[in-house]
Amino acid sequence: MSAPDRINDRINDRINDRLAMPLPATIAEAIALEMERDPAIVCVGEDIGRAGGVFGTTRGLQERFGRDRVLDAPIAEMGFTGMGVGLAQAGMRPLIEIMFVDFVGVCLEQMYNAAAKIPYMSGGRQRMPIVFKTAGGCIGSAAQHSQCLWGLFAHLPGFKVVAPCNPHDHKGLMAAALRSDDPVVFIEHKALLLQKGRDFRHHPDVPAEAYTLPIGQAAVVREGSDVTLATLSATVEHALAAAEELAGEGVSVEVIDLRSVVPLDTATVAESAARTGRLLVVDEDYLSFGLSAELTLRVIEALGHGALRQTARLAVPDVPIPAALSLERAVVPNAALIAERLRAMAKGA
Amino acid sequence: MSDTVQQTRFRRMLAMRAFDEACLDALRRKAIHGELHVGLGQEAIGAGMAEALRPEDAVVSTHRNHFHALAKGVDRRALLAEICEREGGLCRGRGGHMHPFDPDTNFSATGIVGASLPVALGYAHAFAMRGESAVAVGVTGDGGSHTGGFHEAMVMAAARKLPMVVLVENNALAISVQFSEVSPTDTVAERAAAYGARGLHVDGTDVDAVADSFATAMAHARDGCGPVIVEATCHRFRGHFEGDPEGYRPRAERQRLRDSFDPITLYRARLEAGGADPAALDAIAAEEKAAMKALLAEVLEMDMPDPAEALRYRFTEEAPA
Ligand SMILES: Cc1ncc(C[n+]2csc(CCOP(=O)(O)OP(=O)(O)O)c2C)c(N)n1
Repeated sequence: MSAPDRINDRINDRINDRLAMPLPATIAEAIALEMERDPAIVCVGEDIGRAGGVFGTTRGLQERFGRDRVLDAPIAEMGFTGMGVGLAQAGMRPLIEIMFVDFVGVCLEQMYNAAAKIPYMSGGRQRMPIVFKTAGGCIGSAAQHSQCLWGLFAHLPGFKVVAPCNPHDHKGLMAAALRSDDPVVFIEHKALLLQKGRDFRHHPDVPAEAYTLPIGQAAVVREGSDVTLATLSATVEHALAAAEELAGEGVSVEVIDLRSVVPLDTATVAESAARTGRLLVVDEDYLSFGLSAELTLRVIEALGHGALRQTARLAVPDVPIPAALSLERAVVPNAALIAERLRAMAKGA
Repeated sequence: MSDTVQQTRFRRMLAMRAFDEACLDALRRKAIHGELHVGLGQEAIGAGMAEALRPEDAVVSTHRNHFHALAKGVDRRALLAEICEREGGLCRGRGGHMHPFDPDTNFSATGIVGASLPVALGYAHAFAMRGESAVAVGVTGDGGSHTGGFHEAMVMAAARKLPMVVLVENNALAISVQFSEVSPTDTVAERAAAYGARGLHVDGTDVDAVADSFATAMAHARDGCGPVIVEATCHRFRGHFEGDPEGYRPRAERQRLRDSFDPITLYRARLEAGGADPAALDAIAAEEKAAMKALLAEVLEMDMPDPAEALRYRFTEEAPA
């Protein structure tokens, strides 16, 4: 083997190693790099220390940074969410993990009445550099363990709300969230947390060093000319699968990953929709009073009435997530439901 | 010949174990999706509570709810069918294993830790204001005892001497978090004193002891003497949920717990020492196992819910008359 070949092989091996990283390991790496950089970062949550998180997103952190900085909390979310507010006021930069987003019901008080409002209520004098890290999304655990709820946080003024779709973005946006002086709700998707780098269709590669991505910029993850499909989180993967299927039927779909709900990058979506004339927003959160209507209207406001030939929304149709798989498949947007909707749009005017 | 009290307790524990083993079987057959929580190792608590529960009493349980449902008298066919997501299940396949609701037996559960106790408080208030003699039982794990809901429910129930029993299944673990590392007190039961309530601590692997303590607690609450915390210590034999990698405890530790604290093995030894016929005990075990096997086969033949009905049952007008 020639020298360049050997070097190439070694580089490939290194890349492949990183492609074998489970997404949770990538997230843990992002947090570790930031904790190394900034001693003010303190993590609090259930099972994040000894167990390294129920998905492994904090694995190794307690060994490295000690029990004060990576604190295993009892099931006392109201207590430790408020603790995040106090930590922030005391000059620390807390990462508060709420294991599943569904559990915010018991601690929303400290999140929306304190963390989200204090920067404003204090006239900008009190910063709230808190990351509320949580896992959302459906992996078949019925009504109380399958929600996304980003629309809820987005509705409450004061939060930035991030929901990445691939390993690269998870790392860069987690770093950005930890460096942000505003409260950021960082919503991982349980289905993605069960994947390794190479399982992702889009941007599975993750540099080893620390980097940030700007919060509030959408990404065009597949270019197309007939329909603009905007979505985020795990649904990006389903959207790409559906777009591929539609390509085989002669329909060209542009897929946009919003990456955050607040700020919402309307400009990128509007620019695309202006070209395609058709906008489909797919949202794994509930349909009504949520992301899909908000984004659609913002695009219409940006482009003017009549600029689009079609708009459509696909989201959970205002029903709790059912236990039975047969019902779940009917209500949670998946590749088949997305393809069906795209097909209907393509057949329309 | 009908079972003696001891045989009944033994049978109840075996029925509960067979039930959760059927759930594991159903999971292997992919009839259940999502994270299943079973109670293997905790049968003595479910069996021990069954005797003192009356039909009018209420039980509000947790994510690990199967044994409490069986103890309350929820139909096991409907329960298993719900866990297997069938249209013929207790909740028509909409609720699933973490969310069984049975208004007929006053049984319900929640997947949100600590959320059971405020609901039990509501039942207790309703029973008291209507002058009924029923008792509300709120179940929680040790992990749930640290929640705000636990504290708030105890404050309100104790201040008004409501008929509420809080059953704490202390299996020493909340997923990976050890009770001893996060609890300010050695036991949950001793916190009762702070509320002016009664606290009982019992070995939850001993079905006779649980039955006695639970009966004492229920009588206390029923007699208008106020809430009781019954803490039953036990061990969780399997992962927190099926699929839990259990990185937080060595395999050998789990095996040691099974070898030393199996409530069924322990009880069997006691019964045999008291002269019980091993063949009769074997027969009970075989009967319960066979019954559950047959029941699972029946349940797996039942229909899945029709996707066209996915939105139904959100509002009253969508339910059958
Ligand atoms: C409010 C809330 N926080 C966290 C969880 C996630 N969770 C589910 S079960 C569990 C541990 C519960 O421990 P314990 O109460 O001791 O019951 P056990 O599982 O041991 O039976 C946790 C943290 C949840 N369901 N609800």
